[in-house]
Amino acid sequence: MVTASAGPPWSEDDEPAGRYDGDTLGLADGLMFALDVCLSEIEPGQILELTSANPAMVHELPAWCGGTGNELVASGSDGEGRRTLFRIRRGNRAALMFADQPDWGLVAPDRHDGFGTTEWLIGRAGEIPAHADPSTGFSPRGAVVETGAPPFPYTETERDHVWAQSVASLYDQAVGSQWNASTDIAWDSLPAVSVHLERAVCQIMTHLAENEYAALYVPAKFIPRIHPHFTEVVLFLSTQVVDEARHIEAFTKRALAGGGGLRYSTALTQASLQSLLQQEDFSQASFLLSVLGEGAFLDYLSFVERYAPDPVTADIARRARVDEARHVAFGVEHARHFLASDPDRAETLRQSVVRRASFLADASAGSPHIEEALVVLGAGGIGPGSLGEGVRAVRDLHRTMHRRRLGRLEQLGFGAEVAEEISALHTPNFM
Amino acid sequence: MTELMIGAVAYDPKVVPIWEGIREYFRGAPVEMDFVLFSNYEAQVSALLAGRIDVAWNTNLAYVRTHHATGGACRVLAMRDTDVGFRTLLVGRVGELARAEDLRGKTLALGSADSAQAAIMPVHYLHVEGLLPGEDIELLRFDADVGKHGDTGTSERDALAAVLDGRADAAAVGAASWDILVRGGEVPPSTLAPLWTSPAYAHCNLTAMPTLDQETSEGWVTHLRAMDWADPAHRRILELEGLREWIEPQLDGYRDLFDAVEEQGLAARW
Repeated sequence: MVTASAGPPWSEDDEPAGRYDGDTLGLADGLMFALDVCLSEIEPGQILELTSANPAMVHELPAWCGGTGNELVASGSDGEGRRTLFRIRRGNRAALMFADQPDWGLVAPDRHDGFGTTEWLIGRAGEIPAHADPSTGFSPRGAVVETGAPPFPYTETERDHVWAQSVASLYDQAVGSQWNASTDIAWDSLPAVSVHLERAVCQIMTHLAENEYAALYVPAKFIPRIHPHFTEVVLFLSTQVVDEARHIEAFTKRALAGGGGLRYSTALTQASLQSLLQQEDFSQASFLLSVLGEGAFLDYLSFVERYAPDPVTADIARRARVDEARHVAFGVEHARHFLASDPDRAETLRQSVVRRASFLADASAGSPHIEEALVVLGAGGIGPGSLGEGVRAVRDLHRTMHRRRLGRLEQLGFGAEVAEEISALHTPNFM
Repeated sequence: MTELMIGAVAYDPKVVPIWEGIREYFRGAPVEMDFVLFSNYEAQVSALLAGRIDVAWNTNLAYVRTHHATGGACRVLAMRDTDVGFRTLLVGRVGELARAEDLRGKTLALGSADSAQAAIMPVHYLHVEGLLPGEDIELLRFDADVGKHGDTGTSERDALAAVLDGRADAAAVGAASWDILVRGGEVPPSTLAPLWTSPAYAHCNLTAMPTLDQETSEGWVTHLRAMDWADPAHRRILELEGLREWIEPQLDGYRDLFDAVEEQGLAARW
């Protein structure tokens, strides 16, 4: 027990680093939180002076100081005998040990037009690590993490393996472009179309939906593997997951809305999509899914929009295409970043395509019933006068997909021959 | 390879990770260790006396008992920094009792009869202050978890609950126990407040038999005392065991407990 003597047993010149007047508060009444705050504001070894008019303080403060890793160095009366002064030295063995100090006082720049995610690179929060430390766990980038926190089993801890230059602005665009598949689509104005066209639309919607499941599951699988300090990537992939959920919803609803319903799903399509889900490397998965697969989907959706027999189908295809364009942009940007730091990585991406193609070796052509549905859609039915036009439209679609794939690959620095090989090996299932 | 067998009492599930952590810390050290858990201190002291364990992680009362049984020949190897300057508080309702003397004619709640901090030492020190517990002060005892020497804290909680609901006017609890309850948010604001602090006394220690080889015990203690709060892997264990560093034995702090045991006739029941 520290006995209060008349007048404090220290010189008046001996200024403490901090002071707090606890008045009549007991530790359990909240004083312990004030002491914590005040001690955190001084350095280890420095003194906090507590003034207290609570008679229990002399009994409970010593154990509190010991228990919190601080030291009660002295106490004394305020001279009038009504209050006791305590001097607490901040210890260097606190219950929580941090190797660093958090930032303070750094203000985000111009926020007139909102606070964009591209503008949040402030102080520690703006330090995107080249190699992320697994033991920072789920702490937001910029926070100070206690030493000794357990490492998390992230597999993507290298910035180059996940990053894309424009990922923050793509995330902002994604957040600003969300739509509601229940209420933003004019479901009540869906007209009745011919049986053959409705059947073709329902088959295409079934195919689109199953592909979008893959486009949801693949990024979702990688999110928990990516270190959270690559925040923008994790946030962007989360929007991709939500986008795909909405597309699955919209395509499924369109199949159900006109009385047709969901149709066939082939073993080839399932095998092709399974080969995407089996990818274990983020850059390769992103290349296969977003650059090649979703890249082809842009043309697929343009085709559906152009030849849709009704405005609802066209609207859904257009909205989905706008979303998919962001996913493709991320995929291309990521591949560019991935290749920029080491051009030899182009070979690993090429090999991922070759491996996937050998897995799907028995699939040399697309599913005949999808081709059929696309032709019927392109022809506007099965009338003999227009079928030829449908066949030509679908041939054009394949050529367009191939040409644009080559364009994206060459943009990424692949030579013409390799680009040709990759495009030819890409799955006939589109995704 | 030399290995010491350490005994500890399993008063709480956390005792397992504590000693597994310490054993892991000793892996590869010049003197390694294993441990065995007992359900009560009496069994642990018997095992130490019988040579079935080399070192016992003893409460102060278990140490005094070992001391008696060995005629003072047992050796203390180390203590926690928090075992020195242990104190008991009397806690009453806010604004009622101001000093121990005010307890005259009132009721004091005590913890387990085998808890030094919650029963034996407060009775002793109040006696020293001229208050005869049982005569000047009525005692209300809460004998929870007897055999664990108050380690579980259950009886101190029971004693405080008796003050809150008016069955007692004050409760005797360890200052460290009170602090844990305060910091854990278990004390409702403006209800209870300590009004008296006992003199300091010592709490636990690592006790060995005099036959333990000196070089072996020194090797073990040297490695034990090298545990470092700044090392996160050590800190986790130190935190669970309630210390910041292992220190050299300071045996003066047990003198009052020897007196109390004598005065209260506790040794006769051993």
